[in-house]
Parts: sequence; C-alpha cells; structure tokens
Amino acid sequence: MKLTSRYEQTSCRLVLEGLPDLSAGQNAETIGILTRFSLALAGKTEMEGEREHLQAMLAVVLPYARQLLSGVRKPCGNAKQPIEIRPLNQGHQLELRSRQANTPPLLLDLDDAELADLVRCLDRMQLDEKVAVPLERPIPQPLRRSELVTRLPLQRRLAAPLVGISALLISAALASLLPTPKPPANPPTTMEADG
Amino acid sequence: MLLCAEALDLNGGEAMVWLSAEMGLTDLFPNRVELWKRRCSNPLRRTTRRELLSEAESDGLISILNALADRLYPLLRSLLSSREPAELSEQRWALFRERLKALLQERFNMRRGAVQRLLDPQSGPDLCRSLIQSMALSAGPGGFDRLKASLMDASA
Repeated sequence: MKLTSRYEQTSCRLVLEGLPDLSAGQNAETIGILTRFSLALAGKTEMEGEREHLQAMLAVVLPYARQLLSGVRKPCGNAKQPIEIRPLNQGHQLELRSRQANTPPLLLDLDDAELADLVRCLDRMQLDEKVAVPLERPIPQPLRRSELVTRLPLQRRLAAPLVGISALLISAALASLLPTPKPPANPPTTMEADG
Repeated sequence: MLLCAEALDLNGGEAMVWLSAEMGLTDLFPNRVELWKRRCSNPLRRTTRRELLSEAESDGLISILNALADRLYPLLRSLLSSREPAELSEQRWALFRERLKALLQERFNMRRGAVQRLLDPQSGPDLCRSLIQSMALSAGPGGFDRLKASLMDASA
C-alpha cells in the first residue's frame, strides 16, 4: 500500500511517497522505502527526485541554514552533489543538477522567507516518526573559528594587525631618531699606588 | 532575539512567562522575576548579572525563544518575504525598528558597541534583518538544535 506524507508551508510543499518496510519490523503506516519525493516552491518549477536527491537536500540546505544563524554566508554543496545552495545579494540560489547528461542545471532563486519555509519542511520531515527512510541527518554543530572568519569583512579583519604593524614601525622610526648615548668617559687613573 | 520577540509582539514578555509554564519550565523559572533574572545574564543589558547560566537554564531560554519564534513565524515570514508589497513591508520594518529601539534604550547599555551598531541608521537595518532571519531559522522543530549549536560557536 502506497503511503504519502506531506509537509506544507506558505511557499513550500514537500511530498514523500513510499512503502512500509515490513521486513524491518516497521508498522504499515511508516514510510520505510522512499519511491519518490516532490518539492514545490511557490511560483517555481516543481522538482521530483529519489532518495539520493532528498539526502542531498538535507545535507546541503540544513547546514546552510545552520551557518546563516551564525552570520556566515557561504555556499554549501559542490559540483559532485546533485544539489548546491549559495548566497546571492538578496537571497539564496538553489542549484539542482539532473543525472541525465545534456540537461542544464535548474537554478531557483529563493528569498529569506522561502528558504525558512523550505528549512521548516525539511525539519518536520526529518523528525516525523512516520518516516523511517534511512537518511543521514546532519546534526547541527558549533562552527569552528576558521569557519567564522568570513563573518567579519576583510577590512575589519585586517584592521587590528595593520594598526599593530604600523605602531611598531612608527615606534622603531622614532627610536632610531634618538641620539645614541655617548660612552662614559674613562675615569682618571689614580696615581696613589705609584706614590 | 528575546527582545526582538517583545518588539514584534506587545505581549511578548507575558507570552514568555506563559510559554515557560506551558512547557513545564516552572522548576527553572518559577515566576517572572526568576525568568527576568536569567535574561539579565546578557552582558549588553543596562543592569546585568555576573552569574553564568547553567546548561538547563540556557536550554530553557532557548526553548522559550524557539516556541516564541514558532508563534511569531507568520510575522517573521512576512518581514522577510520579497513578495510582500514594498510599501507595506517598509512600514512593518519601520514599526519593528522603532519598537526595538525603544526597548534597547530602556533596557540596554547604550555605551556597548553592539548596541550602538544596532541603533546606527547605516548598519542597524541589516542587523535587524539578520536578527529576524535568525529567529525564523530558530523556529520550528529543528530550530532548538540549530540555535543551541550557534550559541556554542568558537567565538561565542
């Protein structure tokens, strides 16, 4: 019996279709084998895919949202993955790549509200007890110092070391202008020993 | 972000107390005074408390924020959406910034750089947007873990 799970937000609808995996001891109302999923974003093309696309969506979109929460705007995903997301000037761009050759990638521009809707749908799907599809679920992790470097603009990152080096150079130049102290005159030799 | 929730919802302060009781956090925050004391651990506040929050207390505050953000999500979404009429959107942002400014002036230390940047006409609007976006991403079922992880960043 085919099962369907739907997760809807204002601009996003995620639908999972599948079958229960009775051999794994799941009940008849739990999706254990994903046969198809579809993602519809308001005003944009509806995409369909299989488990690997849903896995890629989780692996890319949720870490991207996690980074945004720390003020880090950098792309997630790479050319080898079917999905990539990157920041735009005003919003975000989701790139979906087809497995079929000669099919150009689909580029979807999302604003902040649409991204938040997509993240909520994925969150709900991830935590749905009626979905037991074996998917790797990214656990939000604190960002390392090196990952947070991009949060500050280059000018502010360079300001402290530049001021430090400038202060050192100015101090060295001023110090070089000071007259070199003359060596102390030799004390007059006493003739007492001779007398 | 808790202050942003109050700027978005005039009854935000009461909602925090109510949500705290609703979520069974009365052991941690038995009354509004205790909840207020925990909020005063923020060093940017005008009157700040030096004691550190325990993990249970910080988790409690994150849970309250998560629930508040979920409750306010339609409003957060309308602020972030580019599909809303530009004039209406600008009016909403202006109202939010005005309320946030009043709350900051009332409760926060105006000499702190972070507070000044938030009130600065140049940098303030972008920071306000960033706060609202963070609230939207902190809402919902996965928001608690995301927000908690972000508070444990290396620089935090």
